Amino acid sequence: MSKSMKMGMLGLILVIPSFLLLFVIVVIPIALSFVESLRNEAGGFDLSRYQFLFTDKAMRSNIIFTLKVTVVSCLIVLIVSYSLAVYMRFSSGRLVDLIRKTYMIPIFIPGVIATYGLINLLGNHGWLSRFLLLIGITLPRIIFDEKGIIIANLWFNIPFTAMLLSSALAGIPNSVLESAKDVGAGRLRVFFQIVFPLSYKTFLVAATFVFMGVIGSFTAPFLVGPNAPQMLGVSMEQVFGVFQEREQAAAIAFFTFLLCSVLGYFYIRSMVKDETARS
Amino acid sequence: MSIQLSIRDLSKRYKTGEGVSGISLDVNKGELITLLGPSGCGKTTVLRSIGGFLEPDSGDILIEGRSVVKLPPEKRPTSMVFQGYNLWPHMTIYDNLAFGLKIRKMPKAEIRSAVEEVLRLVRLPGAEKKYPSQLSGGQQQRIAVARSLLLKPAVLLLDEPFSALDAKLRHEMREELREIQTETGLTMVFVTHDQEEALSLSDRIVVMNHGHIEQIAAPQDIYDAPETLYVAEFIGKMNFLKGGAQGDKLVVGRMEFPNAKHLTGEVVVAVRPEDIILEPGTSQAAGLPGTIKQMMILGHYAEVSIDLGDHGIIRAFQPRDKVKELQLGQSVNATFNKVIAYSNN
Repeated sequence: MSKSMKMGMLGLILVIPSFLLLFVIVVIPIALSFVESLRNEAGGFDLSRYQFLFTDKAMRSNIIFTLKVTVVSCLIVLIVSYSLAVYMRFSSGRLVDLIRKTYMIPIFIPGVIATYGLINLLGNHGWLSRFLLLIGITLPRIIFDEKGIIIANLWFNIPFTAMLLSSALAGIPNSVLESAKDVGAGRLRVFFQIVFPLSYKTFLVAATFVFMGVIGSFTAPFLVGPNAPQMLGVSMEQVFGVFQEREQAAAIAFFTFLLCSVLGYFYIRSMVKDETARS
Repeated sequence: MSIQLSIRDLSKRYKTGEGVSGISLDVNKGELITLLGPSGCGKTTVLRSIGGFLEPDSGDILIEGRSVVKLPPEKRPTSMVFQGYNLWPHMTIYDNLAFGLKIRKMPKAEIRSAVEEVLRLVRLPGAEKKYPSQLSGGQQQRIAVARSLLLKPAVLLLDEPFSALDAKLRHEMREELREIQTETGLTMVFVTHDQEEALSLSDRIVVMNHGHIEQIAAPQDIYDAPETLYVAEFIGKMNFLKGGAQGDKLVVGRMEFPNAKHLTGEVVVAVRPEDIILEPGTSQAAGLPGTIKQMMILGHYAEVSIDLGDHGIIRAFQPRDKVKELQLGQSVNATFNKVIAYSNN
């Protein structure tokens, strides 16, 4: 056996465990869900479960609600996290030091506890509401509303996203920015033509992570979301657990997977395009 | 010749205590001046202050007679070539080169022809569509130089631009830079810790040490007549011996030299290895008697170490033919063509 063949075999052997893992915990469940989602009430196969997904009024509003909460959460998380990361990278002082030391704290607080904390803080009878009542202000409905889910999403996602973006910005050497200033670029031009393009790959990774995390989230929407409309994760649990409709739940799961795949496709396409251009 | 860059009493102190103080320097139009010194001597501080990347504590910087010390880098008529090339990796070579010209709102057609012209100047025609990662280190540095040249700065600043390149490429780049400088007539301030680079490139060299200027002179003058003991130690190879000043004479062993600096008492005498003549055997006439300790053939010449007893060990460069007459352990008589003396304080 030639040396190159041996190396090829070794490469294959090294790849097999992770491929098998991916196959067993991702590919097979997705395929099974898809097959299950095609099964109709009579036991045959058709697209009736998907038809229901898009024709049922409650289910349609669940999809729209989920997309709305996801997009709004993603936008706010990315804007706040990127602003924080830029501030931490290019500023100095006590406030920056304080932010650097504290912005990761939410990561270390379990989701359920953080969500109950938010209910206690922002609920109708929460202490913020009671405090504001003292000065004559009525707190608008936040908990058991989309606002509650969005705030919880910010709490869960901003620290990790800011950490990802901070490390990307830290990888841009000062001298690269100085050379842009040197040829006459002002602050805004340096940001939009140098800093952002050099960190946009990580920005895309962060956007993908946040999107997938929020669209498939369960804990926060279940605890602080409204009864209707619901996020798809909560709806899926209800269809599966309460209504015992496994096939319909599988159709929701597969649809959620498709939504994530669309973003994944754009992410991979932009990475491949980038690599091809530079190779 | 008009003064293009004038630095007046520039001082900058860092929290660590390092920095520069009282730096004054005039650079003529079309001159290539090199700031030379070891790490931490303050040469980069001076360069970055000229470029606007550091705000000095005091002093003034004038370019073409106008003070620029309060201006940010983007408003200064300077351009800097950095140590690490610093091309923008997400842009093609064309975009890297055109970036500064677009900011200056130059018409597209003019930008295109200017980019083509500068790529020819740096011997990289046709590289427009490539990305920096597709070029070698030397090619990237040429693009970095080209990017600065395109802006036609009043002063081009170069911060150890060739330090990341291998020796052969560094040598080639030096020659190319000199050619470009002659062709464009640009005023250049070059920072390096490599004395060979400074000696081969510069019209004048500024030798710096511990944040101040030791000497400003043409390369040959720096080499032949270092003004301070530090410059004598730093530039080229040098032997140091104890000597004495007696009236208008300097005495080293049995040798006598003119006391041009009118020194008195004990002095330190410096002699270049190539200014030492070795004769086999001992002589009572002149010179210092010694024994050959080591001989290293270094291509077209040899470095010979001689133990002079109380005067210590000195190194002499000898032609290859001469070395054939010499042997390890042999007694020799060393005489000096010329010496430079320094006060022993």
